[in-house]
Amino acid sequence: MVALVVVLGLVVTGLAVLVAGLLRSHADILKALHDLGAGVGDPSVSPNADPARADIGSTRPVAVPFTMGPQLPPGRDSTSAPAIAGVTPGGDARAVAPAGSGGLTLLAFLSTGCASCAGFWESFREPSRLGLPTGARLVVVTKGPDREIPGEVAALASPGLDVVMASDAWTDYEVPGSPFFVLVDGTTGRRLGEGVASQFAQVADLVRRAEVDGAGFGPGTRADRLVGLDGPERESDNDAELRAAGILPGDPSLYPTSLEDLYGPPDARMPATDRHVRRAG
Amino acid sequence: MQAHGIAVELPDGFEGRIFRRQTDGPEVACAVGHFATFALPEEVGDFGSGAVTLMGEYDVFAVLFEYGPESGGTRLFAREGMPRALATSDFRPYVLRRGLPGQSGTQWFFTEGGRPFTLYVVLGSHARRPVLVPRANGLLEQMTVGPQPGPMPSGTPWN
Repeated sequence: MVALVVVLGLVVTGLAVLVAGLLRSHADILKALHDLGAGVGDPSVSPNADPARADIGSTRPVAVPFTMGPQLPPGRDSTSAPAIAGVTPGGDARAVAPAGSGGLTLLAFLSTGCASCAGFWESFREPSRLGLPTGARLVVVTKGPDREIPGEVAALASPGLDVVMASDAWTDYEVPGSPFFVLVDGTTGRRLGEGVASQFAQVADLVRRAEVDGAGFGPGTRADRLVGLDGPERESDNDAELRAAGILPGDPSLYPTSLEDLYGPPDARMPATDRHVRRAG
Repeated sequence: MQAHGIAVELPDGFEGRIFRRQTDGPEVACAVGHFATFALPEEVGDFGSGAVTLMGEYDVFAVLFEYGPESGGTRLFAREGMPRALATSDFRPYVLRRGLPGQSGTQWFFTEGGRPFTLYVVLGSHARRPVLVPRANGLLEQMTVGPQPGPMPSGTPWN
């Protein structure tokens, strides 16, 4: 009997230790979750006591600081090229319409303070050495007199350089910072490309390539139609192209399972250079 | 866009420049406005030299050119107000500062806001007047001319 009581006592003690360990482990997990901000609640603090922590322990949405950029005006998308209206460093008014110019317009978004821009301002002092194709024009866009000092812009801008000071243009073209370049095709009224460069030679090279590729973006071409298309519109356009080529839904060519499905048997394959030559012909 | 007492809400496809020329001597340059449906080069003569040669058949070029205040009240500028509804019959191939094949133009002298101006409009194609004149009128309708902003600098008027 005594032995039974002793054994029972040991079992109860062991179970008590086990339960205590589990509770300790649970408490550690809750503390870790709280430190991670999971909102599991802090029993030591009453939500009503501290308004800043009022959301702790509740299921209400938590306000997170997040700033949205200004909305684009209606009718504009990522490839549209709205007109730029502002003033010149000399106080005259200037408005540029890249979309209606007929040729290529390179917009250079620069500022007077950024170190990376200094090289571009210097390059623009010799327009003949920029390497831009004939007919392509360069327009420098700085922020308006509310953000830039016209005298400083005038000091950097060489005579004959087309400079427009317009803060709104930076929003319209969603410019992330300076320097930033946007190439607009005046024929289609669309942006052909945009981005950052460290030297103007890189930009000029891209402009020359765009001019060569210009035929592919001419009015009425497939490339012209695709510019600006996205989502269901782009998918519909692709479907129409496939149907026109006789490729209908379920066509085996849409579901290749091996390289041979794409390129044919190895014996029938020709060198890559030959394929390119034949396509070009 | 607005400067030097001239303001305009440019219609789609137009670009422009409103400026006063820099002068070296005591001359005083009055305001000039250039408006075009094509890319305006940086250097353009007061009445479009350097620009009209770039025009295509569907292009419009307009100049608003201010004269010195001593011209105010003269018979040449007797008309009050800028014409804002031009007719196709107002355009003549021979009314051009520089005769270019196919183009035509019209020129008007007037006073607005107490300031004497001339308006000079060039069409890229005389044959396409029915299409181009409404575009020019769309520009003129959006243009306003106010009084001279501030006193004119002393000196001999350049314009």
